[in-house]
Amino acid sequence: MRKTAGLMLTVFLLSVQMVWAQNKTVIGKVTDGKDGSPIPGASVTVKGSRSGTTSGSDGTFSLSVPEKSTALIISALGFESQEITITGSTVEVSLKAGATQSLDEVVVVGYGGKIKKDLTGNIARIKGAEVANTPVTNFTQAIQGRAAGVFVEANNGKVGEGVKVRIRGGGSLTAGNDPLYVVDGIPINTDGLSGNALADLNFNDIETFDILKDASAASIYGSRAAGGVVIITTKKGRAGKTNLGVNFQYGTNKPTGYRKFLDARQYVDLLREAAINSDIIEGVDPLDPAQYPGSWLQFAENRLTRYSGYSDWRNLETNTDWQKLAFNDKATTKMVDITASGGNDKTRFYISGGFNDVDGILILNNFQRISSRFNLEHDASNKVKIGINLGVSRTVGNRNNLDNAFQTPMQLVALAPITPVRDLNGVLYNTPTTTYYNGLIETENSTYKSTTFRNIGNVFLAYKFTKDLAFRTEFGADIQSQNDVLFRGFRTLTGLSTNGYGQSDWFRNFTYNTNNYFTYTKTIAEKHDIDATLGMSYQKFAQDFSSVYGEDFPVEDLQTLASAGRITGGTTTKTESAIVSYFGRANYKFNNKYLFSASVRADGSSKFGKNNRYGIFPAVSAGWILSEESFLSSSKLISFLKIRGSYGINGNDQIGNFSQLGLFGAGKYNNQSGLVPTQLPNPDLAWEKNKQLDIGLDFGLWGNRISGEIDYYVRNTEDLLYSVPVPGTSGFTTQLVNIGSMQNKGIEFVLNSTNIKSRGFTWTSSFNLAKNANKITKLDGDQTIIPGNDGRYLNSLLVGEAIGVFYGPKFAGADPANGDALYYLADGKTTTNDYNDAASFIVGNPNPDWIGGLTNTFNYKGIELSVLFQGVFGNQIQNGGGGFMSASFDWFDNQTADQLDRWQNPGDITQVPQLRLGYGNGINASSRYVEDGGYVRLKNVTLAYNIPSSILSKLKIRSARIYATGVNLATFTDYTGWDPEVNTDYRAGNRNQGSDFYAAPQIKSLTFGINLGF
Amino acid sequence: MKRNIIILSILSLSVASCDKKIELFPYQSVAEEIALTSDANVKKVLNGAYDGISDGDLYGGNILLFSELLAANDEIRWEGTFNQPDEIWQKAMITTNSFVRDTWLDAYDAINRANNVLSAINIVATADQNRVKGEALFIRACMYFELVKLYAKPYSAGSVTTNLGVPLILTPTRGIDESSKVPRSTVEQTFTQILADFNEAESLLPAINPGPVPANIATQSRFVYATKAAAAAMLSRVYLQMENYPAARDAADRAISSATANGRSLASSYAGAFNTLAPAFPVPTPSISTEYIYSMTVSSLDGANNMHLYWSIPAYGGRDGDVSIQPSHLALYDPSDARLAMFYTGAGDVRSGKWQQQYRVLPIIRLAEMYLTRAEANFRAGTAIGATPLDDYNRTHQRAGLTAAVAVTLADILLERKLELAHEGHAIADVKRLKLSVDGFAYNANELVFPIPQREVDAAGLIQNPGY
Repeated sequence: MRKTAGLMLTVFLLSVQMVWAQNKTVIGKVTDGKDGSPIPGASVTVKGSRSGTTSGSDGTFSLSVPEKSTALIISALGFESQEITITGSTVEVSLKAGATQSLDEVVVVGYGGKIKKDLTGNIARIKGAEVANTPVTNFTQAIQGRAAGVFVEANNGKVGEGVKVRIRGGGSLTAGNDPLYVVDGIPINTDGLSGNALADLNFNDIETFDILKDASAASIYGSRAAGGVVIITTKKGRAGKTNLGVNFQYGTNKPTGYRKFLDARQYVDLLREAAINSDIIEGVDPLDPAQYPGSWLQFAENRLTRYSGYSDWRNLETNTDWQKLAFNDKATTKMVDITASGGNDKTRFYISGGFNDVDGILILNNFQRISSRFNLEHDASNKVKIGINLGVSRTVGNRNNLDNAFQTPMQLVALAPITPVRDLNGVLYNTPTTTYYNGLIETENSTYKSTTFRNIGNVFLAYKFTKDLAFRTEFGADIQSQNDVLFRGFRTLTGLSTNGYGQSDWFRNFTYNTNNYFTYTKTIAEKHDIDATLGMSYQKFAQDFSSVYGEDFPVEDLQTLASAGRITGGTTTKTESAIVSYFGRANYKFNNKYLFSASVRADGSSKFGKNNRYGIFPAVSAGWILSEESFLSSSKLISFLKIRGSYGINGNDQIGNFSQLGLFGAGKYNNQSGLVPTQLPNPDLAWEKNKQLDIGLDFGLWGNRISGEIDYYVRNTEDLLYSVPVPGTSGFTTQLVNIGSMQNKGIEFVLNSTNIKSRGFTWTSSFNLAKNANKITKLDGDQTIIPGNDGRYLNSLLVGEAIGVFYGPKFAGADPANGDALYYLADGKTTTNDYNDAASFIVGNPNPDWIGGLTNTFNYKGIELSVLFQGVFGNQIQNGGGGFMSASFDWFDNQTADQLDRWQNPGDITQVPQLRLGYGNGINASSRYVEDGGYVRLKNVTLAYNIPSSILSKLKIRSARIYATGVNLATFTDYTGWDPEVNTDYRAGNRNQGSDFYAAPQIKSLTFGINLGF
Repeated sequence: MKRNIIILSILSLSVASCDKKIELFPYQSVAEEIALTSDANVKKVLNGAYDGISDGDLYGGNILLFSELLAANDEIRWEGTFNQPDEIWQKAMITTNSFVRDTWLDAYDAINRANNVLSAINIVATADQNRVKGEALFIRACMYFELVKLYAKPYSAGSVTTNLGVPLILTPTRGIDESSKVPRSTVEQTFTQILADFNEAESLLPAINPGPVPANIATQSRFVYATKAAAAAMLSRVYLQMENYPAARDAADRAISSATANGRSLASSYAGAFNTLAPAFPVPTPSISTEYIYSMTVSSLDGANNMHLYWSIPAYGGRDGDVSIQPSHLALYDPSDARLAMFYTGAGDVRSGKWQQQYRVLPIIRLAEMYLTRAEANFRAGTAIGATPLDDYNRTHQRAGLTAAVAVTLADILLERKLELAHEGHAIADVKRLKLSVDGFAYNANELVFPIPQREVDAAGLIQNPGY
């Protein structure tokens, strides 16, 4: 009965739709072979054509097919594909359960595509559908935990800001370690004035992410592939009826965690205790009225009075929770997406419009994106295809200052709890009543807004010479125009003495790129499959920057520089780089069993020295599909088995422009220009070379019901680009040279399984786990240690250790006898209270050992539950703010609650040294501030319900899905700071990792949405 | 059609094969070879060397700040959040202290700029060669003098031929190799080089240095460039460190003669010697104090004033009032001393008014210092070259609104010097040459000497100072 209703609905919908006269219409329904339940979202394509559609929530579909077509191919995630001969105008298809990830899927490789089964390299695919509607601003955060060996870490919880992405670890010390991002064939720019240029992409428009991890997969991108390649393919239209979709989403954002600080009573008690302790050291008894004047206690109590404003600290009149004030307790997420796609045999389109409005959890922090995409393909003839892919967006960020700025809201936690927020006239208190600048003043008459217009697009023409030989030419441009506007009001830190401060910075990036390549595919004697690619590309980056700033504004409402009394400065700069490349690749498959592939790319780049301007990057790989062999082909257990191996070289060119030249730049004295030496020449400057070996095993069991991959890789970086510290007496501090080497070695596991599939209930799991061990194998040949202890952080470079390990004094707790902070001497046993005498040890590693993710998806009669756990294991975090906030009351900063465990009496055994005002008892960087940073997080939970078509039919709606998504709902960690996913923004880099400094915790969000299809 | 497509596609493959496409040049820099090839360019490099020493880590403030923090003696307190100056104030520096590192690096950067000028001196127009050479030598010597005062045991500690000074680099750097790892010279060798450079600079420099500024700028505003008087004044400081009082006296006297003969004079009021504005080009207002022999220009467009940054308060654009003045210092003044009135209360504590305003010219050598140096040296030698110690003493004493003294002792002169020059970066140099102690540390204590920055120990193999 229900089946009939579904068919009738389809017929009804058809009647209101335009149908091409020469086509016939096929309607049908896709069901699960096991229990007859409908399969929504199954792909239905006409054999030998690109036209197709997807089944609705009730499994039905209708498709306009050419009269001459004879068969349809139906495939769905978790099922084996099936070919159905068209016999009439209706078809019923039941699919058999199969692997959760189809081996017949075509994944995108550079300059082409390849069936996953035939891959000899390692490519992880994430489908856009898996991450669609994740309420985060940047797609890199949405794919966190979903691909083996891809480490994603947001610097902090500010929206639209920096995210670290490392594929199989970082291979470079000085050059960038980010992957290359390629959108529809065009490498895009990732630089910007501020914020994160990748947040300009609306990832609901993305069909697939293909992450090229090993050398053979990535080497076709040559000198730019060392950090791996993320190929992003946007959604394309399919021939058939036009699908309209609307998505609304709304939710709230909260911090993932809070940190406990002293309240007013504890603050007063501990501060006085600290002052008294300092007096006692100096032989003063401050409680004796005669000795009180000039004592530390008097100094402290004067400060208490000053910090109390109108109120009285002695009776604890005020108890302000400053931390709470840093957060926006009304933070929301609002998203709207509208899409339309469809087309006919000749022309297919996808258009979309999106709107995101996400509040950060911090006050003043907000991200908005308006985006639109237009993708069009047209078959001009059966030989010529042309098309355009165009994404435009406008991103507006209301931004916070960097974590180390007084203005950043998180630094409010340093203020004293005895300080009232406002005086009796309702005016925000500032210094000297507040301990430091009151960051809340930024909420009044201050603006820090970043607006970016982004246009990423390309046009292409593909020509088929013969059925084997084709040519494709693409021209793409990435145009980015960003304006950062800053206004500081009359009471702000910067605007106070200058009667307001305004600044306007403009940044423009213009990247253009052309790819031109031939592809040839041929099957000879049914046993020899050959395909080859040969081509070239050229890409140019041009960036312009201008800035002007001024001060003295008549009123705070007039914030543009037209109103500034004094224009105090301005500058413009520009820079360029270019790269020209030739590439070729050949794949050979024998008898569907033996796979061989070889590729080579030659790059010439403007960034390198005269003597090393061109580089050659080859790769080879091979695979053997054992399951095609007669001894396995009949196995019931093993449905697919392939071993593969690859070796190749790729390069890293992520360095600044013109690093190879000896240069004099501009200086200025007394308003007169000057010239100053800025850089030593290095005509030998060359690419960093990444040599990677990958051995992998792909398997499928029980009809691919369980499938997986195991990979082992060794990635050696040689000729490391490294800014070697040179004797400062030369007038220079560093020189960029090719020296040193580094290794990343690891293993990756991927497991996909269909655990239960019965009576309308399915449970599938997808699991990935990866271990990476990073090791510096050589620095400049002389030095084995480049210590990084700057008194606050310990990230260092040591041969034989991972990049950026924490190397410095090992804290031994408080001396039970007198409460002094103790550190270990070189023997690791005896201790000293003199920080300069302390020996250095490796006290932590910011690089995780293991990372992983586990997705479980449950489906029951239109109800879906998807749960993603993501984990990071074995890394440490150093709290650089410890010397202020957990500092045994060295100064007046409010202290973390753990300081209550301070040493008080001889014999006390504690990790918190005696409180001493102004004595710096144990506040320098040491293992005191290093903690385990591993965590497991309930990254994403989505509960959705697909409303049955029986209800929808009355509303003329094709599909409707209501859902709730929670992000970061729970975090399991031993880290006592705000959040273990942290990399403070002001110093994040290759070496400087794993540091916390008043960094905002990540965002915990809960959103509700509805997705309608018409 | 098909042939056209083939031709087109082959053309497109070869379109960018040209080397020129990847031969790009920077827009903000010029090649080393171009920088030193003309008279005009070398003079621009000279201005770049001035830019170097005006850096916030050097004469832009930190060199002055460090001297005061080292000699704090509970008369000033570091209250700011930065640990690095706090360590200096506490005399508990770690070898990786970034302020200690940056002053070292920037000083050698300025030295390299000066060495670049000296290497190309033959390219300078003959008429200007002496002046340009004198300026470059002056800049180099200033940096070596500041370095040796901070990073080495004082000359007064003796053992000058064994105590280590700083590495002496006298040629520009063109590349890095083993020879770039220049070891530390002795204190004696360092002082010898400084004396040689300053002496030669004094002989080469003009009394008024026109500088590269437009002709309509008042002479008064040109004392931001090195002059004969500035070099002599620096020499007097060097000789004081060496306890060579007659030479210090003579140098100070030469500085005074040259300066006063060229329009320099004590400002009419003490307050008038501070917080003076640089001329805002192209408006040629003569506003730099008449008593500056040498100063660093600071305006909203150019220059750093870290003394303001750390000593002033948010109301005037400073940080949080990182340095406060303690009662023990204020107690040193006569209540009617105009110099006491320069202090003000702000951001919860007492502050030095000398550094109150942003974008004000930073005095490096004031005429007042020369009078007091001459007074002290004359007094010690029992001479009256230029003037009697009493007359020189009374110049500043009376300007401060105090009654003229009728007789002075050495202690009077030294106190007058301390108060007149308070918080201007002279404190630790005087403590060390006078063999005083501060905050419980003797003048020659290890703790009063900066560590050699750890990065230099690592990168150049330099010998670390004792105690670190």
